[in-house]
Amino acid sequence: MFINGIGRTKFGSLTKNLPELTYEAMVNAIKDSPLNITDIDAIFVSNFLGGPLNGQLHFNSIIASLLPSLNIPIVRIETACASSSVALNQALNSLVKTPNIMIVGVEKMTGMHLISPTDAIAMAGDYKNDFEQGLIFPAAYALIAQQYMSKYGISHEVLEQVSYINHKNAKLNPLAHFYHKDVTMEMIRKSPMVASPLNLFDCSPLSDGASAIIISNTKQSDRDVKILSSHIATDTISLTQRDNLTSFNATKIASMKVYKDTGITPNMVDILEVHDCFTISELIALEDLGFCNPGEAPELIENGSVLPGGENPVNTDGGLKANGHPIGATGLAQIYEIVTQLRGEAGKRQISDPEIGLTQNIGGIGGTCGITLLERV
Amino acid sequence: MKYCCLKCNKCWNHPVETCIFCGKSVTPAQETQYQVIGTSEVFVPSTGNEKVPYFVNILEDLHGHKKIEKSFKMYQIGDIIDVEHEEVQKEQIGIIGSGLLGSQLASYFIQQGYPTVLKTRTEISATKAFSKIHKLIAKKMSDAETESILQHLIITTDYSGLADCDIIIEAVVEDLDIKRDIFQTLSKVCKPSAILATNSSSLSITELANATDRPEKCIGMHFFNPVHRMDLVEIVIGELTSDATKSASINIVTALNKKPIVVKNSTGYVVNRLLLPQINEAILLLEEGIASKEDIDSAIKLGLNHPMGPFQLADFIGLDICLSILNTLFENFNEPKYQPTQLLQDMVSNNKLGMKSGEGFYKYI
Repeated sequence: MFINGIGRTKFGSLTKNLPELTYEAMVNAIKDSPLNITDIDAIFVSNFLGGPLNGQLHFNSIIASLLPSLNIPIVRIETACASSSVALNQALNSLVKTPNIMIVGVEKMTGMHLISPTDAIAMAGDYKNDFEQGLIFPAAYALIAQQYMSKYGISHEVLEQVSYINHKNAKLNPLAHFYHKDVTMEMIRKSPMVASPLNLFDCSPLSDGASAIIISNTKQSDRDVKILSSHIATDTISLTQRDNLTSFNATKIASMKVYKDTGITPNMVDILEVHDCFTISELIALEDLGFCNPGEAPELIENGSVLPGGENPVNTDGGLKANGHPIGATGLAQIYEIVTQLRGEAGKRQISDPEIGLTQNIGGIGGTCGITLLERV
Repeated sequence: MKYCCLKCNKCWNHPVETCIFCGKSVTPAQETQYQVIGTSEVFVPSTGNEKVPYFVNILEDLHGHKKIEKSFKMYQIGDIIDVEHEEVQKEQIGIIGSGLLGSQLASYFIQQGYPTVLKTRTEISATKAFSKIHKLIAKKMSDAETESILQHLIITTDYSGLADCDIIIEAVVEDLDIKRDIFQTLSKVCKPSAILATNSSSLSITELANATDRPEKCIGMHFFNPVHRMDLVEIVIGELTSDATKSASINIVTALNKKPIVVKNSTGYVVNRLLLPQINEAILLLEEGIASKEDIDSAIKLGLNHPMGPFQLADFIGLDICLSILNTLFENFNEPKYQPTQLLQDMVSNNKLGMKSGEGFYKYI
């Protein structure tokens, strides 16, 4: 199973609407692929908040409207922030019957909406048990950060480093939400509190954007990237049902399956994209994915392992923090970055000769996780 | 409006640029005549369509392109509707001054597709203005889109660059003499049909108009900071401003998706005449020790439902600007309610100017 085309839009506060963003990413993916749009047998579309924010559901038919008279099967997948890695996973399951599939993810979060984005995003949590008590999304991650910091005796400074590194990476990515923003440690430290201990620079932004990839069951060109494995796992969503508040079971289970499938171990992975919707979640990801033991992730941040020139480069595109987090497009944007790096086409942010890359994309506070392992061909 | 690929014979309802089927660029298909092929009278209200009954019509043009249009007038099936669908030729805009408002205005106009000439004083300020505008736009767009939007922008240091502009908006420092000089120069270089507008927040349009050869074409267009978020524009009518100038200005503001309000020339117009006495009174309350600045801000925010309190807003505007507008109001109306408080004067002379200087009523990093 191969990826033969990738495309995305810039992320940020954009003027284009939901269908226009989707179309731009699809056109870019088709331009990048040797295939034509008429070769595509089915489309999986990932979108989280089209209903509550943009008043648009039945989104597969909107994709069909952008592809007049193609009339192919199109399905929308929604698993909150993990929507697009899950869409990819489901598309891979369908490749047996349909040789060429496009997966496109999109989100339009800025501008006019039907309800506030904070309320809409909270729909990814347990509405009855948690949200009605005021547990908005940043607050849930704040509780996790507090547990982590007291359990391992670390200060907020490590989280500031995570934010700083991601912003620095985004300065090399012209499509990133914060490509134009110079961020200093001072700005990060002094940013306003959102939900203690997390401040503004611990949080990923509200972004608009779309990304698309095209997969096939046969190799199309030398620029193809091989999908070694994709797994998804789920977990209870409410923090009240978790034994361990500083780890996500779904990440552990899905990544174990991927490693078991392929015989690949974390030390063989050359580059990874993790789901840093909040800075704390990057630390937890590194541990759950087996790149270090629990409590050791702060060392990987401090010793420079995660830097583009380090041992385990993480989020070279700027991550959710600084590349941006247009929710339905995020998982595919991670794939876009790994494919670009494996092809050696990442320009200024190209790392040295990567062969294997991994993406981790989570939904809610770890209620869903999609892991994808990719290899250069 | 439909966007069609002539090669593939496919059409989109969105302004797509490239045909995904063949990679060729897509052209907008314009029509002026539609036939009503179906109509329904709707009796159930919905959000945005509260007034019932209304008609929802399906129309078709000569090429078979269909569209949905709401109306309150009843049509019969087969009726022909002439729609003014020719792309309106957008006016050429001139902006004078590359300060905060000037560069925001230029950036806003080019994003709305208006060819815009920005006049700055020096080459250095021209370069600075360009990078500022580039940054404002690049935040929202891809590089390709940014490039195409910047095509609408010309920056010049020479007044003659404004010769072809249809509307010139002056946005330089709030000083009557400087503005009069500019208006005088404009009446020499601009074409006779050009409208000369000022973004002044309180000065007399009539006095500015008298410096020109065309007082009937002079008007105030007072935009608010930040331009891309504030929807109000005060259209200020001088003694000699003609109705044609007034309606042209209203039309352009409406086309920019902003709300024009019409105000007779009078110091401070509406917004500043209401706002500055409130800020001044808030400072008096503070001086008299009636309440803390935080509590006064809370009073206005929570008691009057304003998004910001008077001290927060004064810091945002700049205390020097607040003082200068109050002085203008006081000089013109000569009423004690406009007299700037001692505290405000002291703060400005101690260079506590608000956000821009790092400290005003509050401290900023």
